[in-house]
Amino acid sequence: MLEIKPIFNALLRSKVGAVLLLIQIAITTAIVSNAAFIIKDRLDYLNQPTGYEEENIFKFNVMTFGTDVDLIQQVDLDEQMLRAMPGVVDAVQISAVPLSGGGSSTGFRLKPVPEKSKSVNASYFETDEHGLNTLGVNLIAGRNFTEDEVVLNRDYSKFPKVALATKALMDELYPGEDGLGKVIYMGDQPLTIVGIIGMMKGPWLKLENRKDKSVLLPTVSPGKLHQFLVRTEPERRAEVMKQIESAMHSNYAKRVIQDLTGLDVKKADYVAEDRLMMRMLVILISVLVLVTALGIFGLTLFNINKRTKQIGTRRALGARKSAIISYFVVENSLICIAGLVLGVCGAVLLGQQLMAHYSVPALSNWYVAITAVAVFVMSLLAVIGPARRAANIDPSIATRTI
Amino acid sequence: MFSHYIDLSWRSFKRTPLVSLLMVIAIGVGIGITMTSLSVYHMMSMDPIPEKSDKLFAVQLQSMDEGESWWSPDSMPYQLTYRDTENLLNADLPFKRAALMKTGFSVHLNSDKVKPFLEQTRVASRDAFDMFNLSFINGGVWSKEQESSAAPVAVISQSISKKLFGTSNSVGETFYLDDLSVRVVGVIEDWKLHIKYFDLNNGSFNKPEHIFIPFSLIKANEIDTWGNTNGWKHEPVKVFNDKLQSEKFWLQFWVELNNASEKRVFEAYLENYIAEEKKAGRFTREKAEYKLRDVNQWISYWEVVNEDNKIMVALSFMFLAVCLANILGLLLAKFLRRAPEVGVRRALGASKKQVFFQHIVEVGMLGLFGGVIGIIVAQVGLFGIRQSLSYYDALANMDISMLMTAPLIAISACIIAGLYPAWLVCNTTPATYLKTQ
Repeated sequence: MLEIKPIFNALLRSKVGAVLLLIQIAITTAIVSNAAFIIKDRLDYLNQPTGYEEENIFKFNVMTFGTDVDLIQQVDLDEQMLRAMPGVVDAVQISAVPLSGGGSSTGFRLKPVPEKSKSVNASYFETDEHGLNTLGVNLIAGRNFTEDEVVLNRDYSKFPKVALATKALMDELYPGEDGLGKVIYMGDQPLTIVGIIGMMKGPWLKLENRKDKSVLLPTVSPGKLHQFLVRTEPERRAEVMKQIESAMHSNYAKRVIQDLTGLDVKKADYVAEDRLMMRMLVILISVLVLVTALGIFGLTLFNINKRTKQIGTRRALGARKSAIISYFVVENSLICIAGLVLGVCGAVLLGQQLMAHYSVPALSNWYVAITAVAVFVMSLLAVIGPARRAANIDPSIATRTI
Repeated sequence: MFSHYIDLSWRSFKRTPLVSLLMVIAIGVGIGITMTSLSVYHMMSMDPIPEKSDKLFAVQLQSMDEGESWWSPDSMPYQLTYRDTENLLNADLPFKRAALMKTGFSVHLNSDKVKPFLEQTRVASRDAFDMFNLSFINGGVWSKEQESSAAPVAVISQSISKKLFGTSNSVGETFYLDDLSVRVVGVIEDWKLHIKYFDLNNGSFNKPEHIFIPFSLIKANEIDTWGNTNGWKHEPVKVFNDKLQSEKFWLQFWVELNNASEKRVFEAYLENYIAEEKKAGRFTREKAEYKLRDVNQWISYWEVVNEDNKIMVALSFMFLAVCLANILGLLLAKFLRRAPEVGVRRALGASKKQVFFQHIVEVGMLGLFGGVIGIIVAQVGLFGIRQSLSYYDALANMDISMLMTAPLIAISACIIAGLYPAWLVCNTTPATYLKTQ
């Protein structure tokens, strides 16, 4: 009924055009399914929850070159000033900024050095009792550390006794147990975990096994270069950020305020390459699909021009318009299906190659299937216009030029 | 004849403007996307110092205990300890050597003339300027005596000199790095680099520093690194001297070796050095391990060209293949429709060769137009990349070689795509078409 045999025979007479189209469809399927998969992978990465109100938090660096102040006292004064500013929820001096790609990490252990022990790498933040509130992360068990527990340090001779840790870290150190109240070791120093934090991403989103593991240490040990984190009320961040430099300088002038940046911007900078890759892939596949569609469109138009007489003759002999349309649709579908079979194999192969050589996860078959269907629909859409034009060829054309 | 063919191509272009435009756009977009990713790849993998990249070697020493591993591909630490750096630097060897570290200060004049600013600073031994081809505009590098006595002197770049003193000849002027007063002994041209190959620890594409101070100041003024410090065993560091004595890695070391025999001499020295240190209880591994990598080996060892970029290059070449298949189809259609006309030309005496050549000129022209469109598309693409990644400023650019490559790829791709249709059309039998006229 679909006249596949005569269509197939006709195709064999003009193989080259059909083969070219087939190749285009195959490569398009292979690229689009893999690219779409990478895009989805990046989107998940870019949109993962972090545990912070990124748009209400900002950071800045302070580089002190004056030598006539005590840094710990100065940090205390600065913090009081910042917390009193209208619009500010809380502010704190902190040793690292989450999501920024810069920070410290070390192995946390079940037993002190030098004993042999399980050790899990996690990032750590040195801050005071306002750290938890400034970060705005969620404490799911236990308590925050108190002001008395914060160690003021000028030379790392004193070490805190307690700490907060994320659930991900404690679950790995003490699988199946409640981490609250447990002791972990940083080097040879014991830390009692007094509070467990739920969701809190560390400085490195890219490091899959470290990003959820963090420790908050109650230590204030500012160097010449130290940084502050400030959380504001919603919508008031820009207004507060504008006043920071002059406010800090009016507190003490011999220093440089630098890198005054929102947490969302810090994160955007950190993930910029991934976002760029995603955008480039989106552009690539949209243009690719467009080019392939144009190819199908062009080739069908060409075939129709070439076969004007034959179409006219068929119409004159009683073929319906629908028969002409279905001829071209079936012809195109035959090529397309052959191309898709090749393309699906190509996609799987390309996926394997990407996985073997690069850190791309295994291609899900769903992406190949959906892409194949989409390419098929696209090819139908591309062929339907020219096919209708063919159907409108006047039967008299056939007789006129013979 | 050639100009006649070009004229014919132009006529043919005008006769089917839509199909021709479609082809030019297809090749243009294909070339544009390919050139965008290729340009970034090209800049990333380009030799940063071609005249001596095979003479500069990064030194790596395996000073970790047996069983300790590192995250580098061959488990060698990327940087050196202070102790090893100092020893290698002071060794009695005839080779130029550079010990390096990244740090930073608030730079100011202790007055209100210039607002204090934070600036990255490179701590370097004096051979570094010569080794890395830095050219002085005024003054020169600090003397050996100044280096050994840890004199507070600095070499600064032209742009910092202008920023601080309003002139590029600021030799003899003093300024402050935090609370340290330093005197300018030399001004260099700004160091323009697209890959910071000499220190790949903190962003391969970060900008090079503008202020340089002697290596000996690290010890004398307790200057700590702004780069990575990596340890492999538990060592309590309470005061700065602990860090100097520790087994932590935080310094970069380069040596210039002009030929294979110099390299052998230096390797022999390293083996001897490791053996000596072994006696002092360090380098406990059974086998002495060290590595000398030249600039290009160092860059590929660090995997500077990121894999996203390689994937993009591969995908965009596949994309170009689709565009070519597309053009081939359209060319086939276009040329075959012209068969009657070709039949007349053949009958009037044009040889097969001439007909073939005429059509190749035509596709070549399409390629040229496509190449030009491709350059425009690529410029837009690169502009987009620069907008979304600030540190790609120096990378997302087309240099001359890439600008020339674009039309070259476009024309050769088009000609390859045009071979078959042109061959088909030149084999037209004149008689068939003359009959139906």
